[in-house]
Amino acid sequence: MAQEATARDVLSSLRRDIARVEGRLAETLVVRRHGAAAPDVLPLGAPRLDAALGGGLPAAGLVELHAAETRDAGAAAGFALALVALSRREAVGPLLWVATGEAFSEAGVPYAPGLAARFGVAPEALLTSAVRRLEDALWVAEEAAALGALRAVILEMREPAPRLDLTATRRLHRRAGGGGLPLYLLRQAGRPVPTAAPVRLVVAPAPAGERAMAAGTLEGSIGPPAFAVTVSRSRLAIPATATLEWNEHDHAFRERDPARAAHPGAVAALSGDRAHPARQAGAVVAFRGVA
Amino acid sequence: MVSRREDNTQRVHALDERAEGLRLKRGMGLADARAICPGIEVVEADPAADARLLSAIADWCDRYTPLVATDGMDGLFLDIAGCAHLFGGEEEMLAEVVGRLAAQGFDARGGIASTPGAARAAARYGLPPLPRGTEAAGLAPLPLAALRLEAATVRGLESVGLRSVGPVMRAARAPLARRFGRMLILRIDQAVGAVEEAISPRGPVAPLSVERGFAEPLSRLEDVERLVPMLAASLARDLERRGEGARRLQLVLFRADGAVSRLAVGTARPVREPRLVARLFAEKLKATGEEIDVGFGYDLVRLAALSVARLDPMQADLAEDGADGTDDVAFFADRVRARLGERALLRAVMVESHVPERAVLSLPHALQEPARTAASRPGPAERPIRLLTPPEPIEVFATEVPEGPPLNFRWRRATHRIARAEGPERIAPEWWREPAGAPSRDYFRVEDREGRRYWVFREGSYGAGTPMPRWFVQGFFA
Repeated sequence: MAQEATARDVLSSLRRDIARVEGRLAETLVVRRHGAAAPDVLPLGAPRLDAALGGGLPAAGLVELHAAETRDAGAAAGFALALVALSRREAVGPLLWVATGEAFSEAGVPYAPGLAARFGVAPEALLTSAVRRLEDALWVAEEAAALGALRAVILEMREPAPRLDLTATRRLHRRAGGGGLPLYLLRQAGRPVPTAAPVRLVVAPAPAGERAMAAGTLEGSIGPPAFAVTVSRSRLAIPATATLEWNEHDHAFRERDPARAAHPGAVAALSGDRAHPARQAGAVVAFRGVA
Repeated sequence: MVSRREDNTQRVHALDERAEGLRLKRGMGLADARAICPGIEVVEADPAADARLLSAIADWCDRYTPLVATDGMDGLFLDIAGCAHLFGGEEEMLAEVVGRLAAQGFDARGGIASTPGAARAAARYGLPPLPRGTEAAGLAPLPLAALRLEAATVRGLESVGLRSVGPVMRAARAPLARRFGRMLILRIDQAVGAVEEAISPRGPVAPLSVERGFAEPLSRLEDVERLVPMLAASLARDLERRGEGARRLQLVLFRADGAVSRLAVGTARPVREPRLVARLFAEKLKATGEEIDVGFGYDLVRLAALSVARLDPMQADLAEDGADGTDDVAFFADRVRARLGERALLRAVMVESHVPERAVLSLPHALQEPARTAASRPGPAERPIRLLTPPEPIEVFATEVPEGPPLNFRWRRATHRIARAEGPERIAPEWWREPAGAPSRDYFRVEDREGRRYWVFREGSYGAGTPMPRWFVQGFFA
């Protein structure tokens, strides 16, 4: 009898440990930023996704963003940058983007003017690191994640990456949590494999919205970028998909209603009575870029 | 015996003692030498290898003085002013250098004098050390080759009957200068000490360095790593006295058998703390440790500060928790660069250029920005977030209008059909850099059916006499 009881105790404590390792326990990561505790979730502003994620993305720690193909890497990178801009940590320090050399040559290097225009990342606040081997990239990301003085770390790599197993991702998650900054792991062109990241999102491209003018939208224009985000893994294990549109002036996401999906081709305009965030905030009388 | 090809014949270039014992001479033809002694072993001369060997010996002589210069193909100048006392005196130092070179297998001859010219002559002709003031007397009996003159000058002097240095020095200077040039007078003055001559050392001399020698050589790199904080601590004391910090540090490892390894690290901000210096070198040793061959061990380790900069001491704070974050980032950047190379961490600097690939410079983190940086003005409206360098060519099958955006294109073996497009934005080449007639680019932002947004451009335009324009994809938007 006593042996049974101790065995049950051992089993339940083991189950609890496993649940904690996998992130299924309701643990809170208390994020410290210059001594003050910051909220530990980052709400995306999209009700369905926030509900599926249990309030939002973790503000510190490892978040895995997956792009199914190499040509979707632009969308995945844009989503990561949008998350960086959403977290409003500009005052902390620079953004570090680490990648293996082949990831940059396949999908392009970060371009500072584009980042500055769309996501508010100043050129002097962008640090890029292109290394030859995956182990070096992991080392740089680990060392950077422990520094609290960075705004965020984006670690990008291509599949296959066998070195990025449970142990390595667990270490990254721990360090980022300890440093109090988010670490976005961008994986190009592969199927999702098990990692220790508490949240995994699969990002796919979605047609962009149209440019907003004083009287409606400009037909056939390419306006605010949009991303089709699927929650592949989260603490609550609720699957959800949503299309999010990024507003670069407010630095906020807006969820696009799937019932009125954007047109696939440059033919019919969207219905005129669709609620538009720009109209709620006030009519846009001029937009940037007019020379 | 070493032979060398000279004037289309093989001549003897160098001999060892046994060959000299057979009365073979330098400059003798190889056929004659073989006739005298058929069984002689001949090796072809390799001047490049000789130069490398001399440079390695000069590296080894670095342990005695940092001012080492090469003299021709087979000699070294060492400026030992001020460091002879560390080795027990000038003559003892010379004896030690010659003795250790002999232990390594080199037959070396040395000479000490107060001018380089006299020292060279003393070394090559076996004179005793020449104190200041006795150079003229010491050099007098030597042949003219001791004065580092050109062969034509030597022949000219011999033709007028001046066969050794003494008579040349006693002769009237003005007629000599008129007939044989100023170089002769300069060499005489340099040898005697009337004109200052300084040797030009092989590398920059470090302003500060500390070193430690070992009777029992260190044979493990971990021991070297443990030694670095101790050396850095004594270097920090000197740096603190001068109010400076080191920007560039070099660790020089002298192996017991003569090879020298050098490791250098650079920092963005002047650093003095032994802990930080040790950490930088730990990263460097981890990165390059496999390539360093410890061999029989290191018997001298030197830490030198190659470049220093002013570093004011900062008042330590009682509430130390909120340290300045930028120092953390700067030190992190130094560690990354020490481990992975100078270009491992880059930051973006905007440059005044409308050509997209030139608008941003990627510089290593520590370097100063060039003067061409753009003022913080909002840039052009729509730029991609990722740039392909170099732009990749694509095949465009059809465009709506000739000068318009493509309807579809093929990139990396996949066809993309365009749903929407914006543009064109024409970017002309910089006329001050490109040749006349370089094609301009028309950029289009296009979105395909799935929602991927590309930045494509057409280089050149359709026209009667112009070559077919080409299409490229250069960037991706979010």
